[in-house]
Amino acid sequence: MKWYKKTAFLLALPWLVTFVVFWLFPLVYSFIIGFTDYELLSDSINWVGFENYKTLFSDEVFLSSLSNTFIFVFGTIPFTTIIALLLALLVNGNYKGRDFFRSAFFMPSVTSMVVIALIFTNLYQRGGYIAMLVQMLGFNTPEYGFLFDKNTALYSIMAMDIWMSVGYYMLIFLAGLKSIPDELYEAADISGASQSKKFFSITLPLLKPVALFILVVNSIKSFQVFQEIFVMTKGKFDTSTAVYYIYDTGLTTNFQFGYVSAAAYILFIIIGLFSLTQFLLMRRKQPLW
Amino acid sequence: MVKKILKYSTLLGITFVMVFPLLWMFRVSLSPVGSLSISEIWTSSSYTLSNYYDLFTSNNMGLYLFNSILVGLIVTVSNILFCFTVGYTFARFQYITNKILFVTVILVLMIPAHIIIIPLYLICLEVGIYDSYLALILPWLVNPIGIFLVKQYIDSLPISMEEAARIDGASELRILFKIIMPICKPALAVLAIQVFFTNWNSFLFPYILTQSDQYRTLPVALALFQGHQAIDWQHLMAGSTISVIPVLVIFILMQKQIVSGITGGAIKQ
Repeated sequence: MKWYKKTAFLLALPWLVTFVVFWLFPLVYSFIIGFTDYELLSDSINWVGFENYKTLFSDEVFLSSLSNTFIFVFGTIPFTTIIALLLALLVNGNYKGRDFFRSAFFMPSVTSMVVIALIFTNLYQRGGYIAMLVQMLGFNTPEYGFLFDKNTALYSIMAMDIWMSVGYYMLIFLAGLKSIPDELYEAADISGASQSKKFFSITLPLLKPVALFILVVNSIKSFQVFQEIFVMTKGKFDTSTAVYYIYDTGLTTNFQFGYVSAAAYILFIIIGLFSLTQFLLMRRKQPLW
Repeated sequence: MVKKILKYSTLLGITFVMVFPLLWMFRVSLSPVGSLSISEIWTSSSYTLSNYYDLFTSNNMGLYLFNSILVGLIVTVSNILFCFTVGYTFARFQYITNKILFVTVILVLMIPAHIIIIPLYLICLEVGIYDSYLALILPWLVNPIGIFLVKQYIDSLPISMEEAARIDGASELRILFKIIMPICKPALAVLAIQVFFTNWNSFLFPYILTQSDQYRTLPVALALFQGHQAIDWQHLMAGSTISVIPVLVIFILMQKQIVSGITGGAIKQ
């Protein structure tokens, strides 16, 4: 069986190399330098223990970036999930033009985030479409546009993010809807269940695994929000997020590699705990709702 | 009847909301430079292609487009090849080291990419590939989602065909590329589209791993375009349109594969 081992190893080699060089090594490396004072151009690297972590928890900029990240995650995910579910229900039936509507709703998800962020920078500007719409509804708009005001900038970016991603999660909900056996609905019809009864006692409970999958994927993604912040506000007007902070402190201003690696690990741990909780919920036997 | 009208008007309303920003991008890209307000842009009767022309003559758009296509193609082809071979070995060679390695695939699937920003930047500097095509390509030659997709697909194929070929004396390479690969075409098509789209739209890593204009891809060039002076919306939107068109064309032509790729992965996980 020598050829067996050899072939198995050779075929797996590309992944082994990628894994070690681009994932395992960086992961260990940043964990270690998180305990040092490593900076660009520093003469010596010193072990500082948990000093970076201590400093981070009193670093105003980092803490506000972290809190913005939480606002972003908890402010977008409920809306994205519910809207995606409603859209999926809307395009689930069998009717003319259904596929067209599915594609139209999904289209923003295949477009590049940079381009979407640029378009919305235009839409959100002073005198832009969204300002016009909001004024038509009788509300005041920020003087210099939505992205140039502390009270609206982050929420505007969040709204765009919801708009962009609902189509993607709609498709996943659709797959979940398709996997529900028709017999269940037929049985419900025979016993004379109402439309809403069917939704709450068949559709919703059976969509639970898909919904939890969506929550996990979406929260891992949302905790790392970066591109839209970079393009739209560069972290100004109270929009800096954790990954933006890592980029800004680590690669543009101070080049404090050790310090920001510790920051990256804090976010890593938060995401890890969050996913773990969701996985445990997913394994629970009794229904959540 | 009333219900039907209500349904279709809701659907059309949502469609408008989803599609309008892209239409607006296109309309701005065709308006003469200097039109600023909404009404100026819609009422300017002149549709002009000069914004596109300028991008290729006085801006480096040709180069950025070339970079995006070059990097996108290389990464896509290498992912088709390597995700296939790696996925195959994880599906068929249930050797102990392979089982351990497959666990690493699952682990990497769950690792948030932000953690490698700083170390990857430092590695690229250290080995001297920072600010080169290699920095845009090497880290992404094979990806865990692709391996997972291929493994799942091969798991569902009967093993008898390979065994018959092996008894007939076909070499392992021949079995791999002449027998298994053609059968995996649907999975590989899904994989190719996903990898190409991800790479085409990718911004963070191409941005931090390169510095000079020469290696900029479209998203990086567009994100940095507005930094120069007051925003030149006409050219910016023309550039955006150029970067969106290939994706939309592929999307419209291959909707079925794209949708099945997304939903298939979701259900299996």
